[in-house]
Amino acid sequence: MTGEHPALALRGLAKRFDGTIAVAGVDLDVPAGSFYGLLGPNGAGKTTTLSMAVGLLRPDAGSAWVLGQDVWRDPVAAKRLLGVMPDGVRLFDRLTGAELLAYHGLLRGMDPAVVDQRAAELLDVLALGDAGRTLVVDYSAGMKKKIGLACALLHGPRVLVLDEPFEAVDPVSAALIRDILTRYAAGGGTVVFSSHVMEVVERLCSHVAILAQGAIKRVGTIADVRGGRSLEQVFVEVVGGRTATGDELSWLSR
Amino acid sequence: MAVPVNVAAAPAGPARTVSARHFVRLKLRVMGNNFRGQGWRIALFIGGALVGLWFAASGFFLFAAPGMSGNGRYAVLVAAAGGGLLVLGWLLLPLVFFGVDETLDPARFALLPLPRRTLVVGLFAAALVSVPVLAASLAVLGLVVTAWSLGGWSAGLVAVVGVLAGLLLCVAASRAVTSAFASMLRSRRVRDLAAVLLAVAAALLGPLQVFGLAALRETDWTRLTGVATVIGWTPFGAPWTAGIDVAQGRVWAAPVKLLITVVAVVALLAWWSRSLESAMVGTASRGKAPAQRGVTGGAVAQLFPRAANWARRDRFGALVALQARYWWRDARRRANLITIAVVGIFIPVLFNGGLSFTSGDEQGFNMGAGDSSPTLVTLSMIFVGVLASVTLANQFGFDGSAYAANVVAGVPGRVELRARMTAFSLYVLPMLAFVAVLLSVLLGRPGWIGLTAGSLAATYGAGLAVNSFVSVLAAYALPETSNPFAMNGGAGVAKGLLTVLSMGTTAVAAVPMVLAAALLGDAWLWLALPVGVAYGLGAALLGAYLAGDVLDRRQPELLATVTPRR
Repeated sequence: MTGEHPALALRGLAKRFDGTIAVAGVDLDVPAGSFYGLLGPNGAGKTTTLSMAVGLLRPDAGSAWVLGQDVWRDPVAAKRLLGVMPDGVRLFDRLTGAELLAYHGLLRGMDPAVVDQRAAELLDVLALGDAGRTLVVDYSAGMKKKIGLACALLHGPRVLVLDEPFEAVDPVSAALIRDILTRYAAGGGTVVFSSHVMEVVERLCSHVAILAQGAIKRVGTIADVRGGRSLEQVFVEVVGGRTATGDELSWLSR
Repeated sequence: MAVPVNVAAAPAGPARTVSARHFVRLKLRVMGNNFRGQGWRIALFIGGALVGLWFAASGFFLFAAPGMSGNGRYAVLVAAAGGGLLVLGWLLLPLVFFGVDETLDPARFALLPLPRRTLVVGLFAAALVSVPVLAASLAVLGLVVTAWSLGGWSAGLVAVVGVLAGLLLCVAASRAVTSAFASMLRSRRVRDLAAVLLAVAAALLGPLQVFGLAALRETDWTRLTGVATVIGWTPFGAPWTAGIDVAQGRVWAAPVKLLITVVAVVALLAWWSRSLESAMVGTASRGKAPAQRGVTGGAVAQLFPRAANWARRDRFGALVALQARYWWRDARRRANLITIAVVGIFIPVLFNGGLSFTSGDEQGFNMGAGDSSPTLVTLSMIFVGVLASVTLANQFGFDGSAYAANVVAGVPGRVELRARMTAFSLYVLPMLAFVAVLLSVLLGRPGWIGLTAGSLAATYGAGLAVNSFVSVLAAYALPETSNPFAMNGGAGVAKGLLTVLSMGTTAVAAVPMVLAAALLGDAWLWLALPVGVAYGLGAALLGAYLAGDVLDRRQPELLATVTPRR
């Protein structure tokens, strides 16, 4: 039933906050099995777009489908297929890592025995097992990202949507996260993630979309978008803006 | 929260000194920006201001009455008792009901090179700019009128100075106490704190009862005036009585009383500045988890404490387990639980005890001798039930953006609300049962346990239903500070109104219990418990059923309203 559907399909998603347009009609098709990077400068509308795509933020207009399930008409069916790691959102951080995983697992209606087994494996692989009884609120930023990823992966979703998974993560943890995501995609899963780190996107992604000022500016396979240049060159050209200082700020070098 | 740039210090050159004026301007600016584009907030603010004005006017006439009637006999009594209650209100109300307005969060000044004295004085000045302060100052103007008409302009001027000092005292006291309690609650010595609070409440009972007893026995005015004179020499009464002392010829007393007030204000500010420091450097994780115990069992077993082994290992069970943990681990929620414990015991005892003295019974101090009626007992129980359940009025606000986890998982609204009710009740129901038993024992009528417990259960259940709706429809974001009493930008008045509205609705829903107590007579003593429990349980389930439906349609909107703006 899901074979012919894209993993994630967005049509005309739009959102405005207090008169300013955050997202102005985004259309996007994420093929099943792809590793999709959503690139954009700060404030481009990446988080807003992803939030609307997974059912966290109601769009003013447009729709979203996950493997053919309408996120806003039938949220329960769509959310069952999704694993989400939002950015800028707190976790229930007065639990320990293990407790948090158990909570997420049971909330998804999983069998307690399966939750136990998967939680133990995830904590082990993500090197969070040593944290023991430490509450998540006392975790470092990188550890919080990792436990967030574990929560999103726990129920074995078909589509994984991650907002800024590599922000504030040290190189070792980043390599670990990359490895997990690569394995997940190789096993038939679809990954969509936002980032403004070109290097990571270039290394991982099969497809890229560049978002700026609430609209998609470039979209396609990574080779198409790059067109023989580096991704950073394309990005700066698309987004515009200044990348060097002029005569101002002379007092900085006093 | 956008801090306007134009308040920041000067650019190059010698740094200009920062004064209290900057803090006041910053507060006004932040308040103004919070209103921007939010019509309903302005409306709520105006509504709150009108309520404040009404209280201010009634306070004014009360304080001005001795002067207007030209009868100075009870002037000291009115000033000391009224003023003392005002100070007490400033001390206790923020802790119990409204929280303290933290438009200017001290933590945001941690990185600025400001001497502590500048910071304390500045924050203090900013705290003076608020609706409650304005209302209180209008009210105590009545004291100036009294002193002026009894003793001419010199007494009036002293009264002005006294009243101003008194207002400073009120604000300083409220800041110092909430800040100190906040830093105590952050540390994990909360059990001690609960004990201390209970002891304080119990200690307050004694003098208040003597006072209430004397006040209601009209014969003993002279003794009451004696009590008032004594209060007049404590910080609670000193600022308010100074002007009247001048009017009545005790000129020497005025400077002494003003000195008492000033010393009290300075001491309170010093106390505040000490706890302020701990708030600024964020001691949130002081006292880390005690030595890491060995992890036992799987993840699921860890989520459920050993005492709750019987709990269902499913969605409902997980929600209950999480919420139950949060009521204990989150300082903000814990503060609410402690409040229920303290006020829940304090109010009914005072209410029934105090009013039972009106009979003028000679055995006055023995509560059992009072003629408390079933109706009266039911009313006081309704108050406790209302107070306990209103804690859930912003239950999603406690979660903040973490609620996103439940939205992503697509938790059905009914399950969500039922689980939250269950988790909260795990703590509250034992407390309420204790209150019900304690009150009937104190009244010397063990046979009334059914009555007290039944009316409590009915009110609490109805309150859960009402507050399910309130929490889904009128949630608001709580600031992410470590102060459990903090409220967001200047909107405290509005939240207070919402709380009162929800409490009123709950009380109305509990009216059948009062009617039954008044009309059914002795049969009701037997029927109250089963009927009350059935009523409460039915109301709560119906509330979860209906509000759950609303929640299903509003999950993303709810998430947006409880996510703090940053």
